[in-house]
Amino acid sequence: MPQPTTDLWPRLRDLLPLAERPVRYLNHEFGSVYRTPEDDPADTSFVMVYPDTYELGQANQAIRILVNCVNAQPGMYAERAYLPAAEFADQMREAGLPLFSLESCAPLREFDAIGITLPHELAATNVLEVLDLAGLALRAEDRAEADPIVLGGGPCAFNPEPYSAFFDAICIGEGEEAMPEMVACIGAGRAAGKTRQEILEDLADIPGTYVPGFYRVLPDEEAAAWGYRVKPVNGHALPEIQKRVFEGFAQSPAWEPCIVPFADLVHDRLSVEILRGCTRGCRFCQAGMMYRPVRERSADNIVEGALDGLKQTGYDEVSLTSLSTTDHSQIKEILERMNAAVAGKGIQVSIPSQRLDSFGVDMSALVAGEKRGGLTFAPEAGTQRLRDVINKNVTEEDVFSSITAAFREGWRRCKLYFMIGLPTETDDDIRGIASLVTRVYEAAREVTPPDQRGRVRVSVSLSLFVPKAGTPFQWDGQIAPEEALRRVNLLRHSIKFRAIDVNWHDPATSFVEAVMSRGGRECCDVIEGAFKRGARMDAWTEHFRPEAWRAAAEEAGVDAEALAQRTFDLAEVLPWQHISSGVHLSYLRLEHKRAFKEQTTPDCSFGTCTGCGLCPDYGIDVETQEVRVG
Amino acid sequence: MAKRTMPVPAVRYERDANGGELLYRLRFRYCEKGRLAMLSHLEVAHYLERVVRRAELPFAITNGFSPHMRISFGGALPVGVGGTCEIFDLLLYRDVSPEEALGAVRAASVPDLLPYACERIDRRAKAASVAYPKSTYEVVFDRPVASLAVPEAVEVVRKKKTRVLAPADFLIEPPAFAGDTMTLKLVSKDTGSLRPDVLVRAMTAGTDVKVASITRTALAE
Repeated sequence: MPQPTTDLWPRLRDLLPLAERPVRYLNHEFGSVYRTPEDDPADTSFVMVYPDTYELGQANQAIRILVNCVNAQPGMYAERAYLPAAEFADQMREAGLPLFSLESCAPLREFDAIGITLPHELAATNVLEVLDLAGLALRAEDRAEADPIVLGGGPCAFNPEPYSAFFDAICIGEGEEAMPEMVACIGAGRAAGKTRQEILEDLADIPGTYVPGFYRVLPDEEAAAWGYRVKPVNGHALPEIQKRVFEGFAQSPAWEPCIVPFADLVHDRLSVEILRGCTRGCRFCQAGMMYRPVRERSADNIVEGALDGLKQTGYDEVSLTSLSTTDHSQIKEILERMNAAVAGKGIQVSIPSQRLDSFGVDMSALVAGEKRGGLTFAPEAGTQRLRDVINKNVTEEDVFSSITAAFREGWRRCKLYFMIGLPTETDDDIRGIASLVTRVYEAAREVTPPDQRGRVRVSVSLSLFVPKAGTPFQWDGQIAPEEALRRVNLLRHSIKFRAIDVNWHDPATSFVEAVMSRGGRECCDVIEGAFKRGARMDAWTEHFRPEAWRAAAEEAGVDAEALAQRTFDLAEVLPWQHISSGVHLSYLRLEHKRAFKEQTTPDCSFGTCTGCGLCPDYGIDVETQEVRVG
Repeated sequence: MAKRTMPVPAVRYERDANGGELLYRLRFRYCEKGRLAMLSHLEVAHYLERVVRRAELPFAITNGFSPHMRISFGGALPVGVGGTCEIFDLLLYRDVSPEEALGAVRAASVPDLLPYACERIDRRAKAASVAYPKSTYEVVFDRPVASLAVPEAVEVVRKKKTRVLAPADFLIEPPAFAGDTMTLKLVSKDTGSLRPDVLVRAMTAGTDVKVASITRTALAE
């Protein structure tokens, strides 16, 4: 297919005075990569889309990584695209302006391939908004021969079934190598004059690629006999798709070129990924299962990369990101070297989360300088029993030692994350949260000098448990939204101090998350129905429309309550069973059983293998720089 | 327990005879054109700070809990209004020649927001934001315009409050027309200023004349 040639800028420019924040659509940021006349016009064109606004998407690491990976390969190039704000999308529709890429302001439908990341369950209708604004058929089966191939991927791809109708192919797992392979495959297919069907067959041959159109959904009995909910109907499709792992992660450079935006982003700083994976094994956590195994970059790589990145971007803050930054075996050395290197330059080094022990607080103290904002901890559950159920290997002593250490170090505010509705939770566990938080507050006051005690604040943030595909709790139902609110109120009434405030997520959005997390192909109709009733930007409180979702589920004949709230039998064939994160199903079942016996499982990156099955299958191992101690 | 370490200053500022910090002040001029005229003042300020960091100039930082770059900006341009003579001032702890500083910031800039001049100025000179209260704007229309009436009053809504401003208080001289271009000279006052785009909108209201661009082309004391 010829490369995009249409420049929509003149039309976009005329619309911009209507935009709330024109900066979202301007492009021309420092670090953007553009096509030049010397580039081969035959290169395969790819556009990577984040299904939300620029402020959220530009900060997303997946977009940055994948655009860089594709641009690094000969014979292809990548541009970026984001969804416009809802009001501006309406104005674009009215003006007949289709969704465009940023770099060349070209219509998305002129590209060879479109990649859409699936960052969370509430982005489902936004995927349709992207396709609709781009002027493409919502369903893959309705797309024309010459239409771009629509690729998906990201965290939600571990249960791709609710999205299966909308994507031509979905990449399962890490995309560093897979995405350029897919784009190359599409380019080669187009150059050879292959049909769309033939290109999809070639894509299905790439490891980790799921082509939903090549499978049929089986009735219950047949599924039980076959072992999966779907069965290949094309010779190129495999019965089970294994996720991709980027094995070169630890050795790859920590500095990945990035664009420096003009706009104020949600995470407006340089981020350097210092390690990937977390095997602490919290039983509700999907990221912990799907980014295995743990792979650490070296201190030299990280420090040099971060300093190089600061120099090239001009950022005044660098965040050392990962799922558990303070677990890095060289974190102390990294932070000390970073601190020394940026001293006196007005640059802040930050770490996104604190381990719940005094080591975590020591590390936070190292980077905080003289500024003591708030510290965030995630005990997740209020009683030791429930913390054992979820395998949050944290004792009450850990909680108190870290929080008193923080207040002794000068912090005056802390935020504690808890989840409610966890499997086996009772009212005693809810009261346990109140009791724990109250005692934390009292302990914090005790170690704070008397004249500063009035400033001590503890805030509690509650989220509702969402069963996630590929985790040991994937079989467990979510509690009903009304019950969630009852438990929130029980907690609020159990807390006596005004200095402790309680915040909670709207259970109605968590309900939709649970449906999307555990639904099968029948949910495609629900997403489409909700979108056609005006649902989009569901993650934005002001745009969330639960009634659209309810009506869509009813019309599609889907029992949404059952999908979200039913406890599945361990022997049941799950809608996403054909997608493997590498962690064996038998291990997930074992972990589920251990949970109900209140037995914990240690972290394999600190000790011996716990037998999840991934490393032997892939022929890889945990890669830490030094022995982890903790 | 971790030992509390005080931040180590990487640089020791030179001191003058009175013990004050010996700092050097540079004033840069830059243009803001093309689509980047759609940036807000805050976005441009943010951008320029990053340009200075990328240029690796020896900029001074403030003391205190939240150290930040000692940079200051000229009067704000409204979103959608470009400029050819915008200014920002930077304090350095080491003397760098204006030529060298300019070369470094240019290499770290994007083409539509490009510094083009730099000079040393006195540390005690007026702040960039108040140095030049008088601005000249060139307004280009989609067709030749012989004249447009200046309304006696313009209603301005700011932070949900409505104020009525009299353009005559802000116009230094009557607007001049030449072909498709109008030249506006406005002064900003301590009590506030009249945005050129607001005035132009009021002047073109009720006509079918469309504005192609508004650009600040000169600053004066």
